[in-house]
Amino acid sequence: MTERTPANRRFFAFDVDSTEQEQAGLNGHTIEQLSDYLDRERMPADPGIDDSPDCEIALRGLERLRRAQRSLLERDLERESRRDDSWVSPILNNISLEAHAGREIPLTHPSPIARLVVTEGAVRGMLRETGDRMQNVFVGRCVLVGDVSVPGAPISIRVDVTVFPGENIPRLADQLRDAMYATLSKYTELVVVAIDITVSDLHSLPDASAHEQEK
Amino acid sequence: MSGKVREQVASPLDAAADQMLADRAADGDLRAFEVLVRRYGPLMRVYATRVLGSNDETDDVVQESFITAWQQLGSLEDGSAVKSWLMRIVGRKSIDRLRARRPHVNIDDTDASAPECRAPHVLAEVESETEALARVLAALPVDQRRCWTLRELAEYSYGDIAAELNLSLSTVRGLLARARKTLLRQMEDWR
Repeated sequence: MTERTPANRRFFAFDVDSTEQEQAGLNGHTIEQLSDYLDRERMPADPGIDDSPDCEIALRGLERLRRAQRSLLERDLERESRRDDSWVSPILNNISLEAHAGREIPLTHPSPIARLVVTEGAVRGMLRETGDRMQNVFVGRCVLVGDVSVPGAPISIRVDVTVFPGENIPRLADQLRDAMYATLSKYTELVVVAIDITVSDLHSLPDASAHEQEK
Repeated sequence: MSGKVREQVASPLDAAADQMLADRAADGDLRAFEVLVRRYGPLMRVYATRVLGSNDETDDVVQESFITAWQQLGSLEDGSAVKSWLMRIVGRKSIDRLRARRPHVNIDDTDASAPECRAPHVLAEVESETEALARVLAALPVDQRRCWTLRELAEYSYGDIAAELNLSLSTVRGLLARARKTLLRQMEDWR
């Protein structure tokens, strides 16, 4: 590091090489402690820091640094967000849809030598699309519970759903369940004994646990 | 700071919460995954570029990160934490890159410091604090910059930084202290 200004102009607590200088200049504290103090929003108050003019200088410096950090991050983010879209498709083209195919679900076929299957992933996709065709509802995770690989074995389906506020949740859940049954019987031979739909309000807080179990 | 990118495609999923998108993507919904890519890709690019010290490898690192994320989404238990989960993946991928090019680290350092030698006093007067910080950060030694980025940008704990970079806790503290003091000293010149 080249010294570009006379050393005596420097706030000597910022001496890069000496922790002793640092502590001597900060009423026994370190920059790290002051930085952690700022992280805690200066709580609980520490008079040893608050009443020290030197600490106050260092804290102001740290705060200024953080403001610069934030605006740097915002500037970088703004620049990245303005980029054209060309970076997205290489990502999507390079991921393998196989990763989420899941189990294979057999379909019967008149020919004894033909083997026909639909993947669990495809069934989940159908269930999502069924929901997407309805208004004011998002279908989240869909889980097929039971041994789907055995033809005729009874299974159940668990579906997480988010709805827009103000919707009649029981009615919406009934409509969705009917639509899903119709889709499943049209495209699969699964014996579905239950579709359990768990509904959460779109604007409810994630930890408010305002989940309503609909059977 | 949300880290969200402008809306590019009109789809109801664009407005969906992270948890919904992560759940759907874990079930194999590529459209939901695409919304996450657009939402957090820019922030991941910023972050990778800061850790790497240049944007030469940013495209590769971010792409690798999303491919890994797609494959491992099923292991993410809390979909609402998808943002920090993605940041952690891109952080790890960036650090792997740095490790791979370790023999060149010193050369990179020398190069990165070069612009600083151009009439710093004049520069300090005309450039904004933001630009000055970018310049000073780029000139920090690699180890310090890495620690600083993980701490201040990714909000890692000291212990997490030590584990991620394979350094002792006291080394991490020392590097961070030097980075902060260097930045604070340089800032005194910006007034």
